[in-house]
Amino acid sequence: MLKLISCELAKLKRKKFIPFVILSAFLFPPPLAVIMLTPRMMDRYDTKAELFDAFYQFVIGYAVELLLPCVIGVIAAMLFFMERDSDTFKNLRTIPVTSTQMIFAKIIVLFLFGLFFSLSSAVVTIFCGSLIAEVGGLGYKLWMAVEMGIFITAGTLPLVVLVVFFSKTYIFSILLCVFYSVLSLTVEGCYEVLPKFLCWMMPLPLLNIWCAGDMVRHGVRESVGRLEYLVPTTTQTVLILGVMSVLSIWLIDRLYKKRGGD
Amino acid sequence: MSEYVIETNHLTKQYGAQKSVAELNIHVQRGRIYGLLGRNGAGKTTTMKMLLGLTQPTSGEVSIWGKPLPGNEKTLLPRIGSLIESPGFYPNLTGTENLRIFAALRGLKNQNAIQSALELVGLPYRDKKLFSQYSLGMKQRLAIALAVMHDPELLILDEPINGLDPIGIAEVRSFIRALCDERGKTILISSHILSEVALLADDIGIIDHGVLLEEEGFADLEAKSNKYVRFTVSDTNQAAEILRGVFHENQFTTQDSHTLRLDSSKISVAKIVAAFVQHGLEVSEAATVEESLEDYFKRVTGGEGIA
Repeated sequence: MLKLISCELAKLKRKKFIPFVILSAFLFPPPLAVIMLTPRMMDRYDTKAELFDAFYQFVIGYAVELLLPCVIGVIAAMLFFMERDSDTFKNLRTIPVTSTQMIFAKIIVLFLFGLFFSLSSAVVTIFCGSLIAEVGGLGYKLWMAVEMGIFITAGTLPLVVLVVFFSKTYIFSILLCVFYSVLSLTVEGCYEVLPKFLCWMMPLPLLNIWCAGDMVRHGVRESVGRLEYLVPTTTQTVLILGVMSVLSIWLIDRLYKKRGGD
Repeated sequence: MSEYVIETNHLTKQYGAQKSVAELNIHVQRGRIYGLLGRNGAGKTTTMKMLLGLTQPTSGEVSIWGKPLPGNEKTLLPRIGSLIESPGFYPNLTGTENLRIFAALRGLKNQNAIQSALELVGLPYRDKKLFSQYSLGMKQRLAIALAVMHDPELLILDEPINGLDPIGIAEVRSFIRALCDERGKTILISSHILSEVALLADDIGIIDHGVLLEEEGFADLEAKSNKYVRFTVSDTNQAAEILRGVFHENQFTTQDSHTLRLDSSKISVAKIVAAFVQHGLEVSEAATVEESLEDYFKRVTGGEGIA
């Protein structure tokens, strides 16, 4: 499997989109840091440490959550369309590499990208935060970035199912990703009016509220206010995302085999 | 151990109501080159795909080295090198980078395997040119390099000379022949170019509309092919009389007033010419004409030639 993963990464060499993907991890922290310095924002927090915590939550809770599904969706389109576009299915299958092995390798690569993106964003946020506020609780914050990277990638797998199902152009995949992110953000804005079941069934809103609750549990944030009833435990979150991921991987496998003529 | 490296038993592939391959029984012998000959769309590629497990047969069986392919892919496929349809590689990578990926996945330990394969097909090692910038001939060469890189015992090559220039064709032909003669490889090659198959193959299978019409050793096929003697003389009527009267031969046809075709005769051409001359006939040509592979193909498929 390690060989397959390294080959999947090698296949992305010279893909023009990849540097942009990496750069996008650095997109939000600097402007958000400037926003945090405005008097209105400064007035909201009593200490510089609180200011940093709020800044960190903005980046990890919203910016990464908005961008990472798009990044994962586009990389998934690249990885899953690659064999179709370059007609290399036959070369791989006569080695033999099975479709299921290929899918697992591709999904692991997606998780690696998710992790890399989330950690890069966290590192840039910590750097920008150190310039405007007082950085604290680094261990937890980095761990939170790792968790969010993995969870958001897992939560984006249903979107990857759609990308593979439609098997269209990259533009179509990007549109799907943007739609997914915007829909999730819309749900996050309607937490109080939507039933709990629906909020928990949408991976990104589920993660958003879990992230806020987890920060409260670790003393990084005071409370989640009236949304307390919505906050899932980490076990519940992992379980929901786990079931979604298994189902998504099963569907991707079936669709991919169908496309590959297995 | 099976006598055949590849053996199919009533192999059939059906798409909807149309049979792409029907009840195919081919037999590829160890250490020989088998040429699968047929027009475009005859079912050659579908057959090869079924032999490699790239498409599932509707019915029938594929056995390789005496073992059924389904269920034995992990042991059988690594021993096979293949080129199916157009060359498929990652366009954003160089030829060497592409081969490196497949070598890694095959678990090739030999560090020189990639370089040797590229040298064999005349492509540079560690060149900076991307696959997307390759010419059709270079792409085809790279695909052949991929097929031979892991030193397989069996090669399944679908139209390997497509896109190659005449020198390239000769080079590929000669190294395919060398792989068989010097290294004992078994090779199944498909082509619609009859002359190429005639130059390479030890055994020939003629496939048309998915049906295997003939399967023979090339030598047997040559023996079976029609031979006749064509005489160009001053008067065919007189020549016919001489054949009947002197040689008691009736298996001939007059094609026009000067050309006569003698289909099968055990009488030497020299004796016939001498008799014609003795009877005052002018003989301007006496040629033994052998049926070409194309003529044979036309006769077997009941249609026009393909190249």
